[in-house]
Amino acid sequence: MLLSGLRHGALAILPLALGAAAYGFAFGVLAGQAGFDALQVAIMGGIVFAGSSQIVAVEQYAAGAGLLGAVLAGAALNLRYVGIVAASAPLVQDWPWHLRLFALHMATDENFALTLATRRRDPAVGGAFLLGSGLMLMAAWIAATGAGAVLGAALPDLERWGLGFAFTAAFIAMAVGLWRGRADAPPWGVAFAVAIALKLMGLASAWAIVGGAMAGLAISGLRR
Amino acid sequence: MSLEWTLIAALALVTAAIRVTGLIVGTRLNGSRWAWVLDDLPGLIVVGLVGASLADQGLAGWIAAGVALAMAKWTGNVIATMAAGMAAFALISF
Repeated sequence: MLLSGLRHGALAILPLALGAAAYGFAFGVLAGQAGFDALQVAIMGGIVFAGSSQIVAVEQYAAGAGLLGAVLAGAALNLRYVGIVAASAPLVQDWPWHLRLFALHMATDENFALTLATRRRDPAVGGAFLLGSGLMLMAAWIAATGAGAVLGAALPDLERWGLGFAFTAAFIAMAVGLWRGRADAPPWGVAFAVAIALKLMGLASAWAIVGGAMAGLAISGLRR
Repeated sequence: MSLEWTLIAALALVTAAIRVTGLIVGTRLNGSRWAWVLDDLPGLIVVGLVGASLADQGLAGWIAAGVALAMAKWTGNVIATMAAGMAAFALISF
């Protein structure tokens, strides 16, 4: 049961892991240019394992924001993980605490959204799927970011080729998978609009996402 | 310890603290009268992610998002949606 769940998750995340690997490779190049070696980038991938915050922290560090500024920027981007882990916690609530912590360390945007979207179609999907998809994603992320750091700056600008948009498209697919029906429309519409508005007002993506989700929750709460 | 190692350790610690907070919050909410928050949150965070990443996209991004949405509704498949979205984005951008 556990093994088949792990394998199911590890296989289902593969296309997203490939996308993350391509993105991670580009991040590794950036980190290499900012003075991080491959070992540091690989260890960072394993113990932080929150890709966008790693990218932002290294970008800020490279831009001269200083240690504190870089860590704060990365941490702000990770605030949404309170919600992601809170929403994933019921999947592993019967597990021993050390396995629970391990599985929740493996929860990221991509595999959390895939797990919950898959679970809506198939209630047997749970913590093992989350863990298996997280392990596969981490393996791809560590390998790709480390390789990027080794190979350094000899790469074209991948963002221009629509690579960043691959993630947006993946999130759209997951949103469609999480859609429960017309009752979702008001909170989702508000969350979407508020996230866009906050981002356009100059807030970092992290705050825009958290703000949008909070506004959506408020609408859900009012309609209950 | 070099600045790089310090940054890595600090970001790892803060991120772990955030995840543990999520575990505590999630365990408390589950089974309480606020349990609906856990049901609603995943969709809202994903919608927020989409909104935040589309906010500074030009027309190409929004059209590609529409193509991706149509593909997602039609196939329900993540790979097909990523491929359609990227293809649309590349076609419109170049």
